[in-house]
This record gives sequence, C-alpha cells and structure tokens, in this order.
Amino acid sequence: MDRSPPPFFRQGPSANARLLFFGLLSIALLIADARFDALGGMRQGIGNVLYPVQRVLLVPRDAIALGGTYATEITSLRQENAELKRIEALNAKALLQIEQLANENKRLRDLAGARERAAARSVLTEVLYETRDPFTRKLVLDKGAQQQVTIGQPVIDAKGLVGQVTRVFQFSSEMTLVTDRNMTVPVVLQRTGMRSVAFGGAAPGRLELRYLASSADLREGDLLTTSGLDALYPPGLPVGRIERIERGGDNDFVKVLVAPTAEIQNNHLLVILQVDTSAIPPAPPAETIDPARKRSRRSSL
Amino acid sequence: MTSRDQYLLLPASRAYIAFTILLALVLNIMPWGRDYGIPDFLALVLVFWNVHQPRKVGIGIGFLLGLLMDVHSSSALGERALLYSLLCYGAWFMHRRVPWFRIGGQMLHILPLFLLAQLVVVLVRMATGAPMPAAHLFLQWVSTMLLWPIADLLLLAPQRRAAERDENRPL
Repeated sequence: MDRSPPPFFRQGPSANARLLFFGLLSIALLIADARFDALGGMRQGIGNVLYPVQRVLLVPRDAIALGGTYATEITSLRQENAELKRIEALNAKALLQIEQLANENKRLRDLAGARERAAARSVLTEVLYETRDPFTRKLVLDKGAQQQVTIGQPVIDAKGLVGQVTRVFQFSSEMTLVTDRNMTVPVVLQRTGMRSVAFGGAAPGRLELRYLASSADLREGDLLTTSGLDALYPPGLPVGRIERIERGGDNDFVKVLVAPTAEIQNNHLLVILQVDTSAIPPAPPAETIDPARKRSRRSSL
Repeated sequence: MTSRDQYLLLPASRAYIAFTILLALVLNIMPWGRDYGIPDFLALVLVFWNVHQPRKVGIGIGFLLGLLMDVHSSSALGERALLYSLLCYGAWFMHRRVPWFRIGGQMLHILPLFLLAQLVVVLVRMATGAPMPAAHLFLQWVSTMLLWPIADLLLLAPQRRAAERDENRPL
C-alpha cells in the first residue's frame, strides 16, 4: 500500500541526480585544471576543433573594421603617412648604430669572458580577440605550435613588454597580459639600477612593485626595464613607468603603482620573441623543514 | 487563469531547438570584446528551452556547451560548465511556474536565477584560488535578462503558427 504507482513517462535519472553528477564533475574539472593544470590535452583537443569556427567568425568583425577604414579621408591618411615617415627618420640613426653597438658589445663581452648572448628569433603575430573570462586578462594570438611558439615566450609591442605566452594550440596561442594577477616580471630601475619584481593585478591595467622598503630611491616617471635575471625576458625591454608612490602608513613598505609602457588596451600586431625556453635553469628545490630538527628545537625550550 | 490570451502551441521540433542552440553558440563565440555588458546568448537560450521544453534539453547539454565556452574564453575548465549546469537545473526547477506569468514576470524569475548561479560559480572559483572578479560581472546578466522578450518572440515563433496549413500562406 505504500508503493507509489510506476511513473507514466520514462524520465531517466532525476534532475537532482543529474545536477549532482554534472556539478561534481564540473568542480572536479575545475580543481584539476585550476589547481593542478592537468587537463591540457583535453583543452588542446577542444581548442583545435574550435579554431576554424573562431577564425570564420572573426571575418565579419574584420570586414566591418576594414570597411570603416575605407571611409577615412585622404587628408588624414596623408597626415598619418607623414608622421610615420618622420618617426622612421628619427629611428634611422638609432637603427644604423645598432649593428656597430652590437659588435662592440660582443667584443667587450668576449674580453670580460662573459657568455655569448644568443640572438632570439621573433615572429609577428596578430591579436585575434581578447578572452572574456573575468578572472584573467588574456589575448589570443594567431601563431601556434606550427610556428614554433612555446609556452613562456615573451610578447612585446613597439613600446614595451605586453605579456607572456601561456598556452599553445596547434594554430593559435594564448598570452597573458603583464597586468594579469598571476604575472610577475623581474625589473630593474633604469635610473638607479635597483632590482625588483613587478606584479600584475594591483589595479586594472597597472603593475605594482612589492616588498620595497620605504627608504628606496624612487621617483614618479622612472622607467622600469626587464633585468634579464630570469633568463626568460631579454634584458632591457621597457616594462613601465612609475605612476604613483604611496609612502606612509604604519608599515615600512611603500606602495608603488606602475603604468605599463606598452599599449595594453589597443593592440593588433605584436611580436613574439622566440626565446629558447628550454635553456632556463630549473627552479631550486623547495625548502623542506626537517621534522627531527623541529622537534628537538621545541624540546630545548 | 493566465492574464493574457494564450495560443495553443504546436509541438517544438528538436531540429529547431538544436538550430537555435547552435546559433546562440555562434553568437557567443563572436568577438564582441571584453565589455562586461555583453549578454550571454547561449545561457539565455539554454534557460529558455529548459523552461519551455525541459524534456528535450537537459543538464547534460548545458554541461557540454559550458565546456566548449570554457575553452573559447580560456577560463578554467568547468567554470562555465558548472554555471550552465546550474542554470539548466534552475530553469527546470521553475519550469511549471514561469510560463504562467507574463513576460515581465518571467524576466523577474530568471534574473535571480542568473545572479545566483553566477554567485555560486564565483565562490567555487575563488575557493580554487582565483581572485575576486569585478562587480560588473553581474551586469552581463541584466543585459541577458533584457533579451528574454526577444527570445520569447523568436524562439517560440514556429510553435505559434496556425495548426492548419494553408497553401496560400508561406509559413
């Protein structure tokens, strides 16, 4: 008498059971991907399948942009052309001197017995689109494993460092902007030679220097360049200018906000520096606390 | 009972449902840019079909499409999948109640669904180590909700045709 009649329609598992299953599966995938980064293969597969669809869907946007530029007047085109020629002439002197400076540098380094710095190849790439995840700042580029792009290679534009390649598909790759929360760049202050590390994510579109004593010699407008200490970023790339220094407060540290020199917001063409990422020395082993020593220290108190 | 005249709807065809879901996926993949106000077309269409035809669309489809969107927007795998699974479940949960209301009432039902599901996903994501996102992430769902009347018009249009076929009328 307690039994209910059999269901009229074959429903399969109930919605609650389905939610539980898919919810737990999603959380498991999240943990595996966000924490352990273990699902690269699956993401690669789906990404390679999605790539042709993405390229096809970019065509209308590019066509509209192209149509917009056709409507530009001749006068503004002439002005832009004259400006570019002027910049080229200004740069010509520096470019002509580069070869001579490079030779002189090589001779001096040989004299000092320093290791020869290998010239890095670079490849021009176009930004396909900016991803819409609210937790990261990433751009998708149109060069991938086919063009020998590997994870970790720095990406620059004409004015400075833009970011780093963080995921590579077959025909495209993703790069994380230098202002993303998880990005760090070892920098050196051009004026004084002080070394520090710039972290992203302090404020939208800004970097910050952390762990600097309030007595550090800093001025607004100082230029920060990569120090080359991590063997990944070539030294001398402009990273940013100090925008605001906040001293005071009850801690001894100073809060420094850095505005990146590269045009983070409107980028279309970027350059990937194809640094050999296998040449980076491995990370030092994490320090482990010896439990025997810890116990004996406690007992001595 | 209802506060407006109701058509007697024709049955929904699975092919049409699949077509609309694919179209919404295409709209989502298009590069609108990073502005926070861009609506999530796929979430809207999934919630719509789960409210009106929960037996033809289920939570599994939401999960798979969420995985696809995760790869496209390079978020952690499972973030959107969890969001779409929660949305499909929530839509099923109120699928007997929502069609009784007028369009304004229906929009008032689905907005809290969107916001609550997004809140749950943000909390889960923060528990796995992400920073807190900007507050205008939730603006996206207001604009998605505002598209509900258009979805109602377009997606139910084939079902609102006349039952008898007249050879002088094209549709």
